[in-house]
Amino acid sequence: MLWGFQLEFRQSLRTKKLWVILGIMVLLYIPVFYIIKSIGGSEITVEGAMAFLIQFVTGMAGFFIGILALLMGATAINSEIEKGTLRVAMSKPLKRVGYIGGKFLAHSVVLFLALLLSTVVGTLGVVWLGAPLTAVLVRDVLLLNMLLLLAMVQLVALGYIISTLVKSSSSALGLALVLAFVLFLIMPNVVGYLTFKASMNNPNMGHDEYIELQKEYTTKYLFYVPTSQVGVITGDVSNTDGDLANVTYNGMPYAIKKNPANLGILIGLTLVYLGIGFYRFLRMDLR
Amino acid sequence: MLKVENLVKVYKDVRALDGLNLDVKQGQVYGFLGPNGAGKSTTILSLLGLIFPQEGSISLFGEEVFRDGKYDEGKLVKAKARIGYMPEHATLWDFLTPVQTLDIIADAFKIPKAEKEKRIGELLDLVGLKEVRNRKVGKFSKGMRQRLLLAQALINDPELLILDEPMTGLDPKGIAEFKDIIREQKKAGKTVFFSSHILAHVEEVCDTVGVIVKGKLRLEDSIENIKREFLRKAGYTIIIETNRPVDFSGVEWSVTPLGENKYRVLAEGDVREEIHDFVANQGAKILTMQVKEPSLEEIFLKMVK
Repeated sequence: MLWGFQLEFRQSLRTKKLWVILGIMVLLYIPVFYIIKSIGGSEITVEGAMAFLIQFVTGMAGFFIGILALLMGATAINSEIEKGTLRVAMSKPLKRVGYIGGKFLAHSVVLFLALLLSTVVGTLGVVWLGAPLTAVLVRDVLLLNMLLLLAMVQLVALGYIISTLVKSSSSALGLALVLAFVLFLIMPNVVGYLTFKASMNNPNMGHDEYIELQKEYTTKYLFYVPTSQVGVITGDVSNTDGDLANVTYNGMPYAIKKNPANLGILIGLTLVYLGIGFYRFLRMDLR
Repeated sequence: MLKVENLVKVYKDVRALDGLNLDVKQGQVYGFLGPNGAGKSTTILSLLGLIFPQEGSISLFGEEVFRDGKYDEGKLVKAKARIGYMPEHATLWDFLTPVQTLDIIADAFKIPKAEKEKRIGELLDLVGLKEVRNRKVGKFSKGMRQRLLLAQALINDPELLILDEPMTGLDPKGIAEFKDIIREQKKAGKTVFFSSHILAHVEEVCDTVGVIVKGKLRLEDSIENIKREFLRKAGYTIIIETNRPVDFSGVEWSVTPLGENKYRVLAEGDVREEIHDFVANQGAKILTMQVKEPSLEEIFLKMVK
């Protein structure tokens, strides 16, 4: 497993798409923090800053690194078959499961590092806005990273399935992009519309009830979108009416405990995707 | 050393291997020939467990590693530790240098550090890549990549070397060096199984040849025996030169004059003695006599037809 890991880790860090996506993401952080500072950053509370950081990192990193994870997975095997490197590797005394396991581990580590970069930049931004760097902030940031990593790993595993089904890496890349578009943009909007429509049946529905309905719909109808599941969990990190100066901060442990079903979906579906992806790799013709 | 029995591989509706049988003995340099799509690469990929045939069996070093759709992965991994493989149409990791490539490949064989470093130096010297040892493979020419592919196949000093179209992309100097390496392997008692479509190369380095057509082994023998058998079946072409004109009318062979006192005789068998007697009976003398040997290419084309 270690052999596949060290090869894939070095390869992944040299992939252009990794640095392009991370570069764009980090560049987008800068104007967002400037805008917040200019529209009243001086009034921001510690709780508000942390709530903002968690929501913001979930959104930005979830989207950009999510695409990266899907693309990484979708070209993990077929591109190696095209180049012939997989034939060279698998002609050596290595077990297939060890090789794909090492590859998966390397992808997970690279994604963790990408998330860490995103979180560090985000944390620096929040500190720049005036929030103190507390132990709670560090703990919650780490928990958020773990949660996001789980979502990213699920997308990598989904990518592996694509990679074992679609022979051409360019076709797989196209399919992964379409899938990313559907998963991150189309379906959440469709479900958002359905939630809104359902809420119209109850004219007396309050803000909290609406949020609960939104969570219910997201859990039910977006169970296959890992970033949406993370969104449901991080939604309980704080209670806010949209004003960063008026936030009740609950913390990540509270949010995770409150949403076991979403955490279960994240873990369960990841295992299912990994199982399918690994099984296909173990049985496929590497030609 | 390498035994394949009744191997069947079907891709969708194409029967790539149709009950293939192979038996490669230790120390042989075995040339595996066949037209495009005959099943050469499919056979090689099956030997290495890279694809899954549906039926048949494969034994490597006396151990059965595959039977009826299933590999014994433990035995296969053990066998692969003794095999060197050079694939066709492959490249290596572009971001690595030759030294890094061989280093990482050596790690797959768990070669100790000191031995690994020594071996890498020797191999880069052998394949002529010492000067570019620290250049990224991504900047290599096709020929340089081929040389590195050969080096990685030799990293574990394999007992069985499997080469898939190894001389494609090499310049004449590279081809000559390559043949020398194969001869060295043979001298060292290693077994080489190598597929090629360039028959001249096969003829020069291989002692046994197998011809695969439509997934079936159509011929397997030493090159000498193959030629003898071909001559026996297809007939002999004998070119003779005499000291004066000879009248060949009435003979059962087909004779064509080629110039002054030079004739081409086509006969069903080896009629050199009969020709000698016939010419002598006319008071003439044979100055030169030559049996035109068929090239492997002629035999191959006939087989494929």
